[in-house]
Amino acid sequence: MKLLTKTSLYYILFSMITFIIGGIIFYNTVKNIMYRQIDENLVTEQLLVEEAINITDTVPDYTSVFGHMIQVLPYIKIYNQVELIHDTAVYDSSVKEIIDCRHLKYIMLSTSKQGYTINIYKPLKNTKSMIAEIIFSITILFLSLMIILFIVNYFISRRAWIPFYRTLGKLSSYKVTQDESLKLPDSKIHEFHLLNETLEMMSQQIHRDYVSLKEFNENAAHELQTPLAIIKSKLDLLIQDQNLTPDQYTKIESAYEALRRISRLNQGLLLISRINNNQFEETEDVNIAALLKKLLDNFSELISGKNIHVDAIFNDEVILKMNPTLAEILLSNLLSNAIRYNFNEGWIKVELSSRSLVISNTGNPLKVSPRILFERFRKSSSTGDSVGLGLAIVNKIVLYYGMKIEFTSTDSIHNLKITF
Amino acid sequence: MKLLIIEDEKALANSIREFFHHENHICEMAYTYDEAREKVNLYDYDCVLVDINLPDGNGLDIIKELKENKVDTGIIIISARNTVGDKITGLDLGADDYLTKPFHLTELNARVKSVVRRRSFEGQREILFNEIRIVPDRMEVFIDKNLIDLTRKEYDMLLYFISNKDRVLSKESIAEHLWGDEIDMADSFDFLYTHIKNLRKKIVENGGRDYIQTIYGIGYKFLSSGK
Repeated sequence: MKLLTKTSLYYILFSMITFIIGGIIFYNTVKNIMYRQIDENLVTEQLLVEEAINITDTVPDYTSVFGHMIQVLPYIKIYNQVELIHDTAVYDSSVKEIIDCRHLKYIMLSTSKQGYTINIYKPLKNTKSMIAEIIFSITILFLSLMIILFIVNYFISRRAWIPFYRTLGKLSSYKVTQDESLKLPDSKIHEFHLLNETLEMMSQQIHRDYVSLKEFNENAAHELQTPLAIIKSKLDLLIQDQNLTPDQYTKIESAYEALRRISRLNQGLLLISRINNNQFEETEDVNIAALLKKLLDNFSELISGKNIHVDAIFNDEVILKMNPTLAEILLSNLLSNAIRYNFNEGWIKVELSSRSLVISNTGNPLKVSPRILFERFRKSSSTGDSVGLGLAIVNKIVLYYGMKIEFTSTDSIHNLKITF
Repeated sequence: MKLLIIEDEKALANSIREFFHHENHICEMAYTYDEAREKVNLYDYDCVLVDINLPDGNGLDIIKELKENKVDTGIIIISARNTVGDKITGLDLGADDYLTKPFHLTELNARVKSVVRRRSFEGQREILFNEIRIVPDRMEVFIDKNLIDLTRKEYDMLLYFISNKDRVLSKESIAEHLWGDEIDMADSFDFLYTHIKNLRKKIVENGGRDYIQTIYGIGYKFLSSGK
């Protein structure tokens, strides 16, 4: 729900509540005022009638004064003086219908000790329509005020929130990896101004941290190369020793193997950080089919070593604008995975069409979800010297070029599809 | 052959010197940029190994200087940086080769020999090794007078072996030399055996001696005297 919708809804809700409560209070106040007026009139009437009775000591002959119906009856038993005013309904023979009235009933004792009951009725029709009219006009006034305020408030809010949405738009398109810093449009509204300032400062801080982390990663990886080179050179010298036993050779080979893993890991990390650093910006037309052929040729010894059958179908000539190094790393990682995790006597199928490249191969069933294989340091097994960066690099390159990668696997057949 | 090793990491520089010393090459060392400049200007070398990142300067400047004064010197860059850009910059300046750390000394040796061969033996374009004669320009291998038919990989392997004769070559260094170190195939070194067997067979069948010795657990050795 948008903020504006939310505030508007609350606005309407509370206006309604105020309106209802206010309306009830207002109605009662108006009604009370009117009734008090009527009651006062009734009492005045009663006093006049009482005075007339006292003078004449007879039932007066008039039945109505000022539209009031007056009825005076002799009253036999007198308990005490009663005076009460209440609402009632009486049958009016002149209009032949029951009408609402205000009724004053008064039992009096005249000076001659004669009891009388005085009933004075005041029809409420006019009063009620008057109240209705007052309430109606007030309601109209209130409602129109509410609507106008609502509309005004809506547009003011919408205008006032514009800087906020602008900030939001800028933020959503901002990437910490981008080089230019976050620039937010300034706002005259103090809160938004503060917000933008804080966000800019925060993004600068994050960017600085990101850059220094990035540099640290790259420097650390670079700094590792030299000690690795030293270890490698020392092992190279060590194996030249004439007096080594086969057992010692085996141990050195293990050391080589471990060293190879560190080097590969380091290279992989360097590559990923270089891709992050946009160091592969220059692109050229890469002929994917030709590159695949070249790589398959380079891998031919590995393929024949495992007696793998390769089926390469190039339906279309595909030329992609890519960095040639990245293109080669991408395809060579995919192919070497397909070879490495294949069975002896297995098969690989490479199918290239204008929209996609599908590499299918036989291999052991996956033990983990295909999705997490694309994360760093994920391996389907702990065998071999894999450092678990191959598919992470593939994923990185694929994302870098806005391609899509899908991995599906059924038992012992794995399909990797890249959509250009 | 006279080499200059410009490398600020003494341990690595000493490894390189020790390795080449065994080949009876003269190795001089320069651990700093200034030292390197001085030596480059005073003496002649067949090949100079340059580390680009020196504490007091950039190795690329030394290459520039060498290119201006000593045109005949072979130059190989040894660097921790492994980007195409760095390689292109180095090679554009006139370096003959670019080797990324960490590297095998046997690989370095093969590269140095290749560079020196290309540069200095202008007239003599052949490699002679006992009864084996290699013509690098045409990638042809003769045993005595017989041209033998080798695949590209077998040819590269033979050249690598001869460059590193009497050295123990680890399987890894051979595989990396033949297939490049970008390719991750660590669990597949076994296939090397087939290739080496084929190469050995082709040499022996064509009247050559059996030079390749298997060093159990680590790799192979190309014996200059044959088995």
